[in-house]
Amino acid sequence: MILTGKALVMGNNVNTDVLHPSCFFSLDDKRVREGFMKAASHDEQVGSGDLTGRILIAGDNFGCGSSRETGARVFLLAGIRAVVARSIARIFSRNVRNLGLPAVECPDLPDQPKDGEEVELDLNKWCLRMNSENFPLKPIDPFWKAVMKAGGLMPFLGFKDL
Amino acid sequence: MTALTLTEKILRGKAPEPILPGSKYYQIPVDWVLGHDATIALLIERFQKTGARIWDPSRCFFAADHFAPPSTPERADILNRYLNFVDEQAVPKELLFKGISHQLLVEDSRCQPGTVICGADSHTVMAGAIGCFATGLGSTDIMAVLLTGKAILPIPETIKVSFKGDLPPWLFGKDLALEIIRRIGEGGAVDRVLEYHDQSGLPMDSRFTVSNMSVEAGATAGIFVPDDLLYDYLCERDNALPEKESWLKPDSGAHYADEIFVNLKELSPLVALPGDLSRIVPASELEGQAVGQIFIGSCAGGRLEDLAIAASLLKGRQVAPGVRLVVTPASQKIYAECLRNGIFQTLTEAGAMITNSSCGACGGIDKGLIGAGEACVSTSNRNFRGRMGSPDGLIYLASPLTAAAAALTGRLGDPRKVFEGKSREDFHSNPWPRPTETGVLA
Repeated sequence: MILTGKALVMGNNVNTDVLHPSCFFSLDDKRVREGFMKAASHDEQVGSGDLTGRILIAGDNFGCGSSRETGARVFLLAGIRAVVARSIARIFSRNVRNLGLPAVECPDLPDQPKDGEEVELDLNKWCLRMNSENFPLKPIDPFWKAVMKAGGLMPFLGFKDL
Repeated sequence: MTALTLTEKILRGKAPEPILPGSKYYQIPVDWVLGHDATIALLIERFQKTGARIWDPSRCFFAADHFAPPSTPERADILNRYLNFVDEQAVPKELLFKGISHQLLVEDSRCQPGTVICGADSHTVMAGAIGCFATGLGSTDIMAVLLTGKAILPIPETIKVSFKGDLPPWLFGKDLALEIIRRIGEGGAVDRVLEYHDQSGLPMDSRFTVSNMSVEAGATAGIFVPDDLLYDYLCERDNALPEKESWLKPDSGAHYADEIFVNLKELSPLVALPGDLSRIVPASELEGQAVGQIFIGSCAGGRLEDLAIAASLLKGRQVAPGVRLVVTPASQKIYAECLRNGIFQTLTEAGAMITNSSCGACGGIDKGLIGAGEACVSTSNRNFRGRMGSPDGLIYLASPLTAAAAALTGRLGDPRKVFEGKSREDFHSNPWPRPTETGVLA
């Protein structure tokens, strides 16, 4: 699978409260979507625009903090195609993959990728192409490969359409 | 035989084969599943579509703590949906509205050393202070546990943390947790377990705070090696003699990914600056910083030890004029105890506003949210931007002593100054027994 899209760039240690403040916790998708990145600092207030097809590129320890799955689900609702970060917090990476969105680590990601730059996530060759350079992805456990292939944890476990 | 860490001792052998060939993930049987009204609500619709029943409702440890009681009609709807699900699946109801799930777990005799606990909340790690493997997961992962009784987990590497030296009276679990995060960073323990070896006699209430905040360094779990102090806690809690002989302990010579030594004698009270946990400084560096709210509460800082030190400081005195002190006990049991022993009388007379036990202000839910530009000192576990209300609010994380000292003056600063001119006995003679008994003020 090869995914292409414009980069949506965030920094290091971006936590779940920044990605999705708890006041937007809801069972209503519209309300959940409204909260995307609502507590990001003003110069990176990016959540409200049309983000369909973007690939999120971030630094270390992306998504640290809460287990609230609304913080991962909002990526699907916003149309984000994949999450790539130098490293991803444990619960957050599980949540994103469980919901059927690829989340991969790219330890050699450069410091300042450009927002809006076209990137290509090649899940066959297991690398990220950006600015005509190839960055290898961190190897992933066969379990997570299978979950990503199945489209999420529930399909992997044999429960379709969940 | 290979020498094993405590986590390896607990998890190895629980599942014979990895979930897939070549994988390091195992389907590990879970003893208890912790859930609450917010994160369980996220899985109900999907769970109902399967038409399945929870594999064993008696193993569900379900609380209602986020919207308890609800502050908006939407939250009432979410809570009611959760209560209906609890009813429909015949999950025991005795923990609903009794306080914050993490505290209820460690107050419960089912939470024993060596058990495996998964919870739909990141602070599930707190139960590690009891010597169990307790970890937080998202709603889809928990749904899989509710369907199968098993969690799909790796057996993580461990970082060994040793606490040494006498515990000074002004030091609390919060200071120790902040010291560890200061040293290894917010991502310093991702995919690893923090295994605590305490030779300082850190009281259980402080240990809970340390385990609770293990996740703020990214840890999968934060587990204390069971010892005599835990034994005494369990004796009192369970009104029975713990089966000490069967407790699992790490082998000497076990392999650790890293080792950290913390000498308590060298530590000073710490504060995490607003925004995230990347800037942790001695409280003395913030001398004079004005604050509008002090929050003493949450699963990280709303236990008897926390409330007792606040009452010790505020007894016969007043919260600084115009400053609000919000107190939220970690459980209704602690609430009742504070009614009995006079802590709440003292705090109320000093001007504190006391709420029922719930996640409340810590989760930015209700009763103590902060506005733009407002500074709050909090004994909770997260100072993230927007966590307690406005994204432009400023949350300082500190120990209950540092927070209570700030309540008196309306300003942050080194709380050790409140000990000046006082002997330890001045605090020793306070009417609230547990902290002195366990050595916090002794």
